[in-house]
Amino acid sequence: MAASFASKCSGVGRSLMDGLRNNFANLPSTSREIVCGSFLYQQQRTFIQMRTVLKVVDNSGAKKVMCIQPLKGKKGARLGDTIIASVKEAMPNGKVKKGKVVYGVVVRAAMQRGRCDGSEVKFDDNAVVLVDKQGQPIGTRVFGPVPHELRQKKHVKILTLAEHIA
Amino acid sequence: MQSFIGGSIRLGQRQGFPRWNRAQFKSSAKAYLPSQSSSNAVQGTNNSIKSPNNHLLQFLGTTFVSQANGVCSVPVLSPLAAMMSSSSSIYMTTAAFPNMHSSEPFPDVPTRIKFKRLDKTAKHIMQIVDKEAVEEVKRQRDVPEIKPGYIVQLKVEVPENKRRLSTIKGIVIARRNAGLNTTFRIRRMVAGVGVESLFPLYSPNIKEIKVLDKKKVRRAKLYYLRNKMNALR
Repeated sequence: MAASFASKCSGVGRSLMDGLRNNFANLPSTSREIVCGSFLYQQQRTFIQMRTVLKVVDNSGAKKVMCIQPLKGKKGARLGDTIIASVKEAMPNGKVKKGKVVYGVVVRAAMQRGRCDGSEVKFDDNAVVLVDKQGQPIGTRVFGPVPHELRQKKHVKILTLAEHIA
Repeated sequence: MQSFIGGSIRLGQRQGFPRWNRAQFKSSAKAYLPSQSSSNAVQGTNNSIKSPNNHLLQFLGTTFVSQANGVCSVPVLSPLAAMMSSSSSIYMTTAAFPNMHSSEPFPDVPTRIKFKRLDKTAKHIMQIVDKEAVEEVKRQRDVPEIKPGYIVQLKVEVPENKRRLSTIKGIVIARRNAGLNTTFRIRRMVAGVGVESLFPLYSPNIKEIKVLDKKKVRRAKLYYLRNKMNALR
């Protein structure tokens, strides 16, 4: 019902609704693709930066982490990059506990990532797989799809653990 | 005779093609003959000139042939041809198109050839190049029509996946027309997570497109589906 109402009224109304829900990612004005009038019609998904909360998709014990630093990248981390994060929410008995500072590899990002053949891919959520300093995943399983970009970034172990390669 | 031709060339340059064309319609065959050599020279540049001009030159070509057969046909060719060779510097020459041969069906000498001035043609030359590139791809591969709301199955060769064909099945939520770079977005559910992919329609990596179903939609961009969280599929 709400969706149909939004589609009936102008794009401004829709962006208001969306904006209220996801203010977080929209505030930093750095956006990659400036489509004319885009801020009225769609959300501009941007980088993963400090204080971005991401979902953890392996069985290392953590549930949600907050990014405290993207490694590599002035504006933020993208799909396939590594970040330093702090565990905000964890399962009671797991390998990592709440408050721990860990490294993670972004495996799903809401911001589109261009591929070399001109195609782009974007996911519906932001997700990360916890790794150690060497890049080896801490958990033993990875849930959900992972993109092909990880192969180029040499995260082969995560690719082999993944259940679907998008 | 030569001076007459020279004068008409200068006249033509000042006034542009079409009017001049009509005015010179009835010149004699004699005026025609001496400059045949110059026209032959122009034939050489035939391949490098873009389509509207190409029509004119092919027209020249066909009428030359008919001229050789003894039919006194159109007139104004020679001065035009000479003018073309003299002002060839303002042409946009592009790579020769192999599919433009002089056997283009051109009916009986029309009384009026309508074509744009050269600088007007130059403005939309990219459009012409684009259209030809699209036709080229369409001839090689059968690309079905894809509109938003279609459920589509693609076979894509992903270069990062070591050249293995992956099948992608989803609903087309948007299509952006931009000539050769026409792209379309597909939304699908992969292992419980929504994934949107954008593909160029004429990409050589897309090996096969199959339309499975057509849903009735009332708009061109179905971005509302992102909030709807379509279950399954």
